[in-house]
Amino acid sequence: MYLTKDEQAILDGEQGAGAQKAMELVTALGKIYGADSLVDITSAHLSGASYKTIGEGGLKYLSDMVAGGAMVAVPSTLNPVGMDRTRWKEMHISPEFAEKQLQIIELYGKMSIKKTCSCTPYIGDNVPSLGDHVAWAESSALSFVNSYIGARTNREGGPGALAAAILGKTANYGLHLDENRKPTAVIDVEDMGGSVFDYSLLGQAVGMKMGKGVPYFRGIDPSVEDAKTLSAAMAAAGSVALWHAEGSTPEAGNFDISGLEHITIGKKERQEAYDKLNTVEDVQLIALGCPHLTPKEMHDIASLLKGKQKRNKDVEIWFCTSESVREQCAEDVAIMEQFGPVLADTCMVVAPIEGTFQRTATNSAKAGNYLPTLCSQKVKFAELSDLLKVIE
Amino acid sequence: MIMNGRAISPGVAEGEAITYAEAFSFLGGVDGKTGKFNVRDGTIDGKVFLFPNGKGSTVGSYVVYDLKVQGHSPAALVNRSAETIVTTGAVISSVPMVDNIDVSLVRDGDRVVVDGNKGYIEIKGVDEVDIVSSIVMVDGKILTLHRPEKAHHYPGKWSLVSGHVERGESPAEAARREINEETQITVSYPDAEMPVFRVRDGKTIYNVYAYLYKLKSADVKLNDENTEYRWVDPEDLLKMDTVDKVDFVIDSLKGCF
Repeated sequence: MYLTKDEQAILDGEQGAGAQKAMELVTALGKIYGADSLVDITSAHLSGASYKTIGEGGLKYLSDMVAGGAMVAVPSTLNPVGMDRTRWKEMHISPEFAEKQLQIIELYGKMSIKKTCSCTPYIGDNVPSLGDHVAWAESSALSFVNSYIGARTNREGGPGALAAAILGKTANYGLHLDENRKPTAVIDVEDMGGSVFDYSLLGQAVGMKMGKGVPYFRGIDPSVEDAKTLSAAMAAAGSVALWHAEGSTPEAGNFDISGLEHITIGKKERQEAYDKLNTVEDVQLIALGCPHLTPKEMHDIASLLKGKQKRNKDVEIWFCTSESVREQCAEDVAIMEQFGPVLADTCMVVAPIEGTFQRTATNSAKAGNYLPTLCSQKVKFAELSDLLKVIE
Repeated sequence: MIMNGRAISPGVAEGEAITYAEAFSFLGGVDGKTGKFNVRDGTIDGKVFLFPNGKGSTVGSYVVYDLKVQGHSPAALVNRSAETIVTTGAVISSVPMVDNIDVSLVRDGDRVVVDGNKGYIEIKGVDEVDIVSSIVMVDGKILTLHRPEKAHHYPGKWSLVSGHVERGESPAEAARREINEETQITVSYPDAEMPVFRVRDGKTIYNVYAYLYKLKSADVKLNDENTEYRWVDPEDLLKMDTVDKVDFVIDSLKGCF
């Protein structure tokens, strides 16, 4: 791999041990995946934020980075953490967990990383442009910015994205290169509805069928919310990091799709996806906002709930969004709060809910995939309107 | 012996080898607090840990860091093929790492030096020997030789026509010479050959150069290196008690039978 004189100097330790470590990691990953050089990035988004997932090893790593003077060189945001910073008691979080979690947030802050913690930073806190090279972790967010915005990122891990943020550079391979952004299969979508639930099922079905690769959709024109849900579902059911939609996403017109394999996703395929995710009927918690609720989704939920009362006291409901969206949507929040907490910068997957709940409902395929493995939950998977009926 | 690979994480370390034959997840595969393996016996603490490749949760990188912090770090990591999780763990934890190594040739207990700067490993006390192994075939049958019961390596096993490559000799020359010495058959050019491969026996790693010679007829006269010979069908040879990798050689060359 070609390194400039300045890059080589960093690798040789001339800018301190922190930058050297970051360069060692970025170049090691570049070497594995055949990068020819490094490329400048305009932003980073980091995973590895919840104490539940990164544990003591992660906490120590971050404190050592901070002690070494690490500082990010480009605007950087952080994934959801294990609790709402102020309302963690309502989430049944232990004080010990809360203390560790607050330490982690503090450490990221010291490296100049924005302390808003969301899986949808592209809604307002961190918005790349078409053609930007970026280093994003968080499988759903990186797929969204690759696909719906046309920025360029690989599937970074937490420490890799942090190293890239510190350097302002990442290794030039994979989805940074034109040739790897070509579609690998055409997805013909039939009988499609327009809800989060419908896009979850579509994404689940495609993720299960394709695994990885670059799907090219025909027959959908996704909104921001649809694209968010679809990206999340395909990254959880498979490892799709980039997709195109004909006549809709910015790069879709760049490619010749003749000769590609065609996969039809209709009612039957979506039913198979549903059967895989739905494992229980009777639940203790309804958790919405995977990925985090957008202002439009907040408003839609508030409209459905307005004028109603929470009758079912046995089931809790959580609404998960980012701090900035919660602030923006004060009126909707006031309505939703009568039913359950609107939690900021956390979610049902990264919070330690397994200490309190065993059965959780969601309308997100991503949550449907991770709740069983990361939180030991049985899952009810259904439309938003059906879920809200449970508590009315 | 030295095995060349690719430098992944800088630093040089030496330790006792501990191996795992399958893809390994640090999350769940080893206890970050104690260094004890959950998927095999033993500990990773201070060892050179060799396994084909990483898998599983990206949190595995932090488990490597946890091992370091707790004082139970591996001395070094060696992979067949490095991926993101293990590479990240090695680099952030300053554990030397090399990949592109055939880890199946290393045994638990070997002393191994890992050079993560230059990209090689050295297995101490293990020697490397170049050998040739030839399929001599007449009418679809393969000539197989029986090794003496008191042979140093592979006693009493059935083998192809094999022997050491001598100093100054090319493998092809060695194959011709061995066939002539052991059977008095004269051959010229091989009908096929396969890429060199390695096989381990005790403290020796053999670099095996394998050839196929198809002859119209052959009259075998053994010397004292073997006790018996037979002409057998390939599938029958696979059922016999053979030296290592005869199946691999037959499988690689059978397209030319």
